[in-house]
Amino acid sequence: MDTPELTPQEAARWALRAGLPLADERHGAVAATAQHIHAVIGTLRELDFGETPPAAVYAAPWEATHATL
Amino acid sequence: MQPFELTLTEAAAAIRTKELSPSELTHSVLERITAVDARLGAYVSVVGDAARHAAAQAEREIAAGRHRGPLHGVPFGLKDLIDVAGLPTTASSRVRADHMAEADSTVAARLFEAGAVLVGKTHTHEFAYGLTTPQSRNAWDHGRVAGGSSGGSAVAVAAGAATFALGTDTGGSIRVPAALNGLVGLKPTYGLLPRHGVTPLSWSLDHVGPLTRTVQDAALVLAALTGHDSRDPASLRTGPASDVLPADGGLRGLRVGVPATYYFERVTPEVEAAVRGAIERLRELGAELVEVDIPMARYVLATHWGLMVPEASAYHEWTMRSVPGLYGSDIRVLLEAGELVTAGDYLRAQRARTLMRQEWAQVRERVDVIAAPTVPMTAAMAGQESVEWQDGTVEGVSDAYVRLSAPANITGMPSLTLPVGRDGAGLPIGMQLMGAPLAEATLLRVGQAYEAAYGAPAVPAAVLA
Repeated sequence: MDTPELTPQEAARWALRAGLPLADERHGAVAATAQHIHAVIGTLRELDFGETPPAAVYAAPWEATHATL
Repeated sequence: MQPFELTLTEAAAAIRTKELSPSELTHSVLERITAVDARLGAYVSVVGDAARHAAAQAEREIAAGRHRGPLHGVPFGLKDLIDVAGLPTTASSRVRADHMAEADSTVAARLFEAGAVLVGKTHTHEFAYGLTTPQSRNAWDHGRVAGGSSGGSAVAVAAGAATFALGTDTGGSIRVPAALNGLVGLKPTYGLLPRHGVTPLSWSLDHVGPLTRTVQDAALVLAALTGHDSRDPASLRTGPASDVLPADGGLRGLRVGVPATYYFERVTPEVEAAVRGAIERLRELGAELVEVDIPMARYVLATHWGLMVPEASAYHEWTMRSVPGLYGSDIRVLLEAGELVTAGDYLRAQRARTLMRQEWAQVRERVDVIAAPTVPMTAAMAGQESVEWQDGTVEGVSDAYVRLSAPANITGMPSLTLPVGRDGAGLPIGMQLMGAPLAEATLLRVGQAYEAAYGAPAVPAAVLA
């Protein structure tokens, strides 16, 4: 799914909602970078996670117990 | 041969037999730093007086019969994200200009306990948020990048300006600079080495590990660093599993996974040829090659960014509001934009990690190790921003360097890179060996077998003063 274009004004407003006031000259660069980040991570929306729980950190002991090695 | 040219294993043997004193070795390494570091930019700071004092103390202890082990009296560098009491941890950032560490990190404390001699703190890409380390130059070609983010550590070891060093790895930051500088680098299993006192980039992806000139050297450093520390919530209570190989030293019975997808895509022909050649040599040493498909390849970068980007912005939240102008422009914009990643995005990445962990575990049921290129290309020119692949796609240099490393960070499995050749320009090429969680002993064993049979001499790079 394509992410709608993020305008500099929207990026500034979104950042402000996150508690980060951005100076005017930052709006364009932050919008462009945020757009790129969302384009990359947006591919995860393709996945049907079903009942899959989140892995907050990687749990090696679980792996070590369940792996064949 | 000068003492600074010795590998850790060689230096340890010479110290043990009293052919070489810790002071002689430390003096030689400090002289080497003086001779080459203005050109290489590996170090943020050098602690010559403290190093000479520590070496002299090691010498007295060894003379008195109190030899602590193979690291005793051996000089090392620490990536400047790793705390040492009484020294600033600059993270190679102006944000940390007034920083002073009050206590040793766990890994530094363990190296000091083993008698190792700190010679200095090495450059990192600012706060480890990048793959090039622009302050440092590649040890083999000074017009090319060191790799990152543990670039200073790699350059120091590759040039003989440290006998070994520690780095950190969130998306390849030990293995990438190790590969680009012709070194061995180990990203251990997530949680095996405690990160207490190490500045984080991304808590759920960060690892600490060694950069060395040989596989045996990496094994010696790893042994000194393992052990639970409750001050790191991810620290494991279990140590590495034992080796799966028979004890005769060969690789007979070892199943080596050869990726049919992902790891050889968008890779330079020279890197592919060198790594495929090295894999064939593993077969000649007795291993069985098994073709494997890499799961969820399309989602590696998305999962990695979905975890790292918001975690990094969270860590820097306060300083991004108080002193944003002190950050370098490349990481400032990433930290700002990272605040626009939602909780939904982050949870999606965490759930993708669950799936990736499960699917990689299935791959590892069929093989003992997976062998693949560490990075898709050798060291880029300094300032180069992108690379164009044979299929016509264009990729950022940092994205290219992180691409083949990130799966081991997301899944937590250990990965060892070792040098397996050079390209036509003489630049080093690395191969990574990935294995099951806590299978460090197997990776090191395979790496050592390769190195013993086919490895090039582990000599430091020649550096013109």
